[in-house]
Amino acid sequence: MSPEMPVTAVEAVRARRRVWSRSLAVLLLALFLIGLLTTAFGLYAWWRFSGESTAYHPDIEEHFKYGSIGSEPESGLPYWIWRALPELFHSELGGQGYEAFGFLYEDDGGGPRDLPIGLSRREVRGIELVWLNCAVCHTGTWRADADAPRQIVLGMPAQGFDLYGFIRFLFDAAVDERFGSDSLMDAMEGAGADFGWLEALFYRLLVIPTVREELLARRARLLPLLDEQPAWGPGRVDTFNPYKLLQFGMTLGDLSEAERIGPADLPSIWLQGPRGDQVMQLHWDGNNRSLRERNLSAAIGAGVTEETVDHQAIERVAAWLRDLPPPPSPLAEGLDPEQVDEGARLYARHCLRCHGRQGDEGYVFEGEDLGEVVPLAEIGTDPGRFESYTAEMAELQKGFFADDPGYRFQHFEKTEGYANHPLDGLWLRAPYLHNGAVPSLEALLAPPEERPRRFLRGLDVIDRAAGGFAAPDCPPGDGPGTAACFDTAVPGNGNGGHLYGTDLAPAEKAALVAYLKTF
Amino acid sequence: MTTSAGDPIFTPLRFRNLTVANRIFRSNISGRFDNEDGSGSQTRINWETKFARGGVGAVISSYVPVTLEGRIMSGYATIHRDDQIPFWQRLGEAVHAHGSRFILQLSHSGRQQDMPGTSNQHRVPPSATGKPEPLHGFLCRAMSRAEVQETVEAFARGAWRAKRAGLDGVELHAANGYLITQFLSSGINDRSDDYGGSLRNRARFLLDIIAAIRDTVGPDYHLQVKISAVDHNDVLPWEKKGNSLQDSIEVCRWVEQAGADALHISTGSLFPHPLNPPGDFSFETIATTYDAMISAGTRTMRNYALFRYHLLRPIFRWLWFRMKKGRPVEGVSADEARAIKRVVGIPVISTGGYQRASHIRGLIEEGWCDAVSIARALVANNDLVRIFAAGADAPERPCTFCNKCLLGAPKHPMGCYELDRYDGDREAMLAEVMSVFHPAPDFVIPEAPAAERPETAEAAS
Repeated sequence: MSPEMPVTAVEAVRARRRVWSRSLAVLLLALFLIGLLTTAFGLYAWWRFSGESTAYHPDIEEHFKYGSIGSEPESGLPYWIWRALPELFHSELGGQGYEAFGFLYEDDGGGPRDLPIGLSRREVRGIELVWLNCAVCHTGTWRADADAPRQIVLGMPAQGFDLYGFIRFLFDAAVDERFGSDSLMDAMEGAGADFGWLEALFYRLLVIPTVREELLARRARLLPLLDEQPAWGPGRVDTFNPYKLLQFGMTLGDLSEAERIGPADLPSIWLQGPRGDQVMQLHWDGNNRSLRERNLSAAIGAGVTEETVDHQAIERVAAWLRDLPPPPSPLAEGLDPEQVDEGARLYARHCLRCHGRQGDEGYVFEGEDLGEVVPLAEIGTDPGRFESYTAEMAELQKGFFADDPGYRFQHFEKTEGYANHPLDGLWLRAPYLHNGAVPSLEALLAPPEERPRRFLRGLDVIDRAAGGFAAPDCPPGDGPGTAACFDTAVPGNGNGGHLYGTDLAPAEKAALVAYLKTF
Repeated sequence: MTTSAGDPIFTPLRFRNLTVANRIFRSNISGRFDNEDGSGSQTRINWETKFARGGVGAVISSYVPVTLEGRIMSGYATIHRDDQIPFWQRLGEAVHAHGSRFILQLSHSGRQQDMPGTSNQHRVPPSATGKPEPLHGFLCRAMSRAEVQETVEAFARGAWRAKRAGLDGVELHAANGYLITQFLSSGINDRSDDYGGSLRNRARFLLDIIAAIRDTVGPDYHLQVKISAVDHNDVLPWEKKGNSLQDSIEVCRWVEQAGADALHISTGSLFPHPLNPPGDFSFETIATTYDAMISAGTRTMRNYALFRYHLLRPIFRWLWFRMKKGRPVEGVSADEARAIKRVVGIPVISTGGYQRASHIRGLIEEGWCDAVSIARALVANNDLVRIFAAGADAPERPCTFCNKCLLGAPKHPMGCYELDRYDGDREAMLAEVMSVFHPAPDFVIPEAPAAERPETAEAAS
């Protein structure tokens, strides 16, 4: 049957138009549906990728170890990428995962926790990111002997943490073909990620490429410096040179030859209260007397920015650290009290003025020059760390938090040498001197030429005899675990200077070391 | 009629070929009283006679299509066939019986075809342009030159039939948006041949028709031309304005030169138009009648929605009433008639909202026009002229210019539907409206073949 013909001319025209109007209607309907789907998708995506949160840890130690200080948004890695990298780069890490860099994993009863101490989580735009907090550099371990269980000490220098190695690992990973969406997606799922299709798409198209791009950008800025520097080794960091490149946009060429190698030991952070605001010159070179600025500056080193910093979280840690004491020294056990007394008398004569002393009730922060800078020429220790901090850097740092009067940096300055630090928890702070160039207390009292030229650093078995950690002589190269052979001939590693007590008689030195073991 | 002695209204108007007893013309208006095939009806005779009885000097017929294709609304008698002459002859006689003249208005809808009727529903009407009429979306196609010539001839034959019917003259409907306007208007005519472009070219169709009529009926038969003085074609604001008064004055000069005996001045390039007929716009009425026109155009559903839904009415109200601002209802285009009268020698009839004798008298005395034509005020008071003759300035129950009569035309018999004029008495209103059906026609029994007649059948059995 043929279709019914239109009765009127108007209907005939309308029938012809209907072909178009139907097409148009279909098109409009399609556009409407696309719009609807886009809106629904957009709303879902907005809901899914708009979360901003971080967990609150009621326990202050948990907070210190795992709480976020705001480093994740700008510097962090997505949790699942963090988890996937050891799978992808299994052989590079010797099968040890992040422990290869000295990250410390606690056992939560059912096995190791998923993140090491010093890694915090924060949900940023719906993606859980992880990155460093204070604890990563300020939590270390010790063992009574090679078979004893590991003791974790908060606030202690992370003497086994190889930040340099960790950074290079990430940079190498970023340029590795395995850091592609396909293999990384597989590795993330292998690590336990269970993505929905949208999340998987988001990771594949946006998250992975963005993370890689960020790492590559950072690598491009930092690698020329890292290539020029000797590996810092475990427990050490070049605090200010990477800062110049990352935060202030300088290039290696902007850095003078003298300032390019400035690694120093990670410090302990106990008993910050007595170090006080405007009391002691803080940092190895004493470049700032403000605790708050020193803390924020360190947080910037850990990856926070002016926009992402979590002041509340940092101040909570800072308040706790004011009174946190170091654990008592096990080296003090079995000492000859008379020898210790003799050592105390020698200490009072040769050391007290600059370093304060250990009292019965804890550390006594008294000493005419405690917390004051001794000119480089006088102290004579390695100049690398001193040179790496410049007057220009001090000026640039004063630009931080310029819009925020409560936090604005005002007190950074270029000093003349290295500051005298209190020696609380001294037994956990080996190797000694600002650059960790001297393995033990005993060695520190030896003239520089008699101090060990090479020793293994990064071990955590205490050396009851010499005072410090076991640090056997070594051939150049890596040692067992995260330990590495420390060569004092390498620039920045000089073990000269600090001649105080080196001319004492052997018995006097033994007495002094005995006393120092009680710190 | 003692009061009418010396009254300009009642002074006969002498055209070259025709004298009309007074200066009141019944303007062209009728209802759907006639037959679908274009033949006339008794009702139509009754209708026109009402006004003759009421004393008008002349009745101008409502538009009478010269071809069936040129119908504006079905149900109106045409003059496209010779066999329609007897009807028009009877109608003329009926009007003449009351001393009035009857002038037949020759028309062609062009694209302005409100209700095409059975004969036209399948075809697209001819026009000067192929662009659909914008307000209702009436379709059209541009006429070929041959069609133009055929249509010119159709007008001439229509005039000839009117003359043969003994009517007193013809009027060319060259106003209000119908076919001749579609040629004249710069807002509508988009032709590129001899019938488009310059004003002279656009007027060629009208002048050809006048020439053809004169060729056919000779110089001594009354021929007048109704023209819109100003197009105001931009009722929809995005449309062009169309012809100006200056354009129309020029056209009127040419029309006079071509041999027309009178001019009938209206306004507007579509019908209805905000300025013609002037007055109110009854949404309540059109919401119940426009549905009869929905199938006639492609924009009619839109308009119906604008009329029917109260929330949308302000849109159309704005469109319609924005042009009326500052314009009187009475004598809405009198000033244009005056401007034209100044430059022509032939009499000028003005139309548009006239109802008061004093107003009409003043215009004639002061030479603004020679006569006026009235439709709605006469529909309200068929005997308006006699009321004037009796000395009254205006009727007791005047026309309110509500336009309900006009807006009801697609569905209802033409008549006054202003209930207020009947004191709210609906029965009285209907009685008045339905009076047009009296007297009833003589019923004729169609002839039956002899074999079917009962007596023959009986005889056969």
